[in-house]
Amino acid sequence: MSKNTKVPSTRELMAQLAKESEGLSITDRRDFLRKGILAAGGVAGTVFASKAAASSNLPPMEPTWGKMLGHGVVEYPYGQPSKYESHVVRRTVPWLTAESISSISMSPLHDLKGIITPNGLVFERYHAGVPQIDPEEHRLMIHGLVERPIIFTMEDLMRFPSVSEIKFIECPANGGMEWKGAQMEALQFTHGMLSCCEWTGVPLRVLLDEVGIKPEGKWILAEGADGAHMSRSIPLEKALDDTLVVYAQNGEMLRPEQGYPLRLLNPGWEGNTSIKWLRRLEVGDKPWYHREETSKYTDLMPDGRARKFSFVQETNSVITNPCPENPIKNSGLIEIEGLAWSGRGRIKQVDISFDGGVSWVPANLKGLVLSKSLTRFSLVTKWNGQPWLLQSRAIDETGYVQPTLKQLREARGGNSIYHKNSIHTWKVANNGEVTNVQIS
Amino acid sequence: MFRSLKKVVLASIIGAAITTPLTAVAAEKFGFGKTATAEEIAGWDIDIRPDGLGLPPGEGSVSEGEALYEQLCATCHGLFGEGEGRWPVLAGGKGTLTEERPTKTVGSYWPYASTLFDYIRRAMPFTAPRSLTDEQVYHITAYVLYLNEIVDDEFVLTHENLAQIEMPNKDGFFVDPRPDAQNTRCMKDCADPKTMKIEGTLKGITPVGHFIEGADAPAASHEGQEELEREKEKARKASLGMEGDDTHSSDTKPAVLSAKAQAGKETFDNACKACHGTGIAGSPKLGDHEAWAPRIKQDLSVLIDHAVKGFSGSSGIMPPKGGRVDLSDEQVAEAVVYMVELVK
Repeated sequence: MSKNTKVPSTRELMAQLAKESEGLSITDRRDFLRKGILAAGGVAGTVFASKAAASSNLPPMEPTWGKMLGHGVVEYPYGQPSKYESHVVRRTVPWLTAESISSISMSPLHDLKGIITPNGLVFERYHAGVPQIDPEEHRLMIHGLVERPIIFTMEDLMRFPSVSEIKFIECPANGGMEWKGAQMEALQFTHGMLSCCEWTGVPLRVLLDEVGIKPEGKWILAEGADGAHMSRSIPLEKALDDTLVVYAQNGEMLRPEQGYPLRLLNPGWEGNTSIKWLRRLEVGDKPWYHREETSKYTDLMPDGRARKFSFVQETNSVITNPCPENPIKNSGLIEIEGLAWSGRGRIKQVDISFDGGVSWVPANLKGLVLSKSLTRFSLVTKWNGQPWLLQSRAIDETGYVQPTLKQLREARGGNSIYHKNSIHTWKVANNGEVTNVQIS
Repeated sequence: MFRSLKKVVLASIIGAAITTPLTAVAAEKFGFGKTATAEEIAGWDIDIRPDGLGLPPGEGSVSEGEALYEQLCATCHGLFGEGEGRWPVLAGGKGTLTEERPTKTVGSYWPYASTLFDYIRRAMPFTAPRSLTDEQVYHITAYVLYLNEIVDDEFVLTHENLAQIEMPNKDGFFVDPRPDAQNTRCMKDCADPKTMKIEGTLKGITPVGHFIEGADAPAASHEGQEELEREKEKARKASLGMEGDDTHSSDTKPAVLSAKAQAGKETFDNACKACHGTGIAGSPKLGDHEAWAPRIKQDLSVLIDHAVKGFSGSSGIMPPKGGRVDLSDEQVAEAVVYMVELVK
């Protein structure tokens, strides 16, 4: 990481200080050896595990990092998570797609706190790889049934008054691998096509006001600048309601894999409609029926007919602690935690069941409860090795109650692929191990 | 009269300023951006609609489409649209939409022919999107329609007749009627535990990397085969000097390349990586010694010849220049040398 950003005098000072601290740790080491010999003679069979006893960094020893210097500022001009968190990464299921250039990765929901997904962990989905776009050369064109077709530079777009909103993005295929049966032995793979960020940009209606929509204009085609030229038809009502043209994410400019320098954001709708690397918006009087809204993102029903324009991501929830990646390690008090979300608005209530849906108790909603955002829920209870069939059930402000898997399959069969928002079940064994099961 | 008019005007201005101070600004256009010219719009306006709106003038035949399809599309979609590996199946699947495993193809599922033209022109071929002429798109569209028995082999597709083509599943779609699954907020005795059926996961298909090595977490679905694959991939990446999850454990140094191989790296990254980076259609992966060994036994000139002219055998399919006809023979040869040297 860029060592060359350091000025020589600082480096000299650092070298000197490092030498001094080296001296410190030598005395410390001697001290440790002496104390270690004493301890070996006396204490045996403590409650600490052997791993702990072997470390010189644990009490009563003072850890080495408290007796030496760490690195200075701008050692890492753009920071990184601790090296001890290197396992917290996006992951993919290789057999899902033909190869990685047109594939999807999932967010590690089991390791995240609060409701914001860090930018490096937001799930990725693209169809022709991630383009490297020069923002100076990027353009957004708005044309079609408009009074004045306009080409915007990034600079133009950033002159408009901006808004910042916390919204989730979910791939409609989230959980799709679980339609026909429990398949994935991990929360990251059953629910990880889901992320939530603070997005900054311009409301699309402001830009549409600027071009002036003709009365015949009813639909908008959004198109990406990547090799896939991803395109989706979006009804004008949504575009005038809460659609955003976004350039920043969690306080910084968008990441390339999230559409840098510009993307669309349709809050609460299929992630696929939030076109990344946005280059063109065309106003028309009818939808376009492109590949992503015919071949894909249509929901096949048991009678062989399919639903089209199933835009909304309906109320959903999942327990993130415990889960297969976070088994229960100790008896006693435990905080059952999870995430709930609705594409139609705010989460009003989340209930938890320990017996596979026979009886339910209300959970608490924690922190911010925002419209079309992830909402964290919690319930503190006791676990003493009893087996659980753990479920969460979310209700949104429209009164919609998250359905059971049985209800969903009765309504739609097993071939929909998309929009599987049913109640999920984790089986907790008496050793605390958590596995994915389905109850029918 | 003059006076009173002035008063009214003045009063309304003051009134507006007091009650809604921002509307005057909001109603005004920002005026940012430049007006797009017809020529600029034409350059970017690529979309096609079911009614034919947006179609460029032109036509294409099934027979010419066949040759282009075999050269540019068959590697991934199969010679008859049957699909290779996990690449999309384009033809067949008739009557399968009500089955347990439906095959959704252009013929069995897509409602409009315009979608096919639009998508081929927009995003295909996968390794070189937007590289086809409109004429070529007409040819290939005609051929894929023929593979689906929607048109006969004499058919000539034009901008005038495309919108008239009736797709078999044109009436198969209806607007989403959700919310559809009705649940109620029941709190007690909501299900009968006696009839409850609990089904676990299929074992061995979950990637294992999400569990921390050596942690106390129960390692579900660890399968010996997956572990082997992971080790193999790790070794491959290490030998390439690629940044990976855990390449630091290896001390293998990346190969030293000749000038020709170095020149070929750029071509590889831009044109060959899509297939040879991941092993599509039986292609030997970059740095996969096992896959390259039998091929290297042949003369280098044979490998280059196959890459330039195309190759089809039991081990896989390689379209001429990997579908990138814009590359020179020399560029392709350099890319081959690059791939070969990395496994030598």
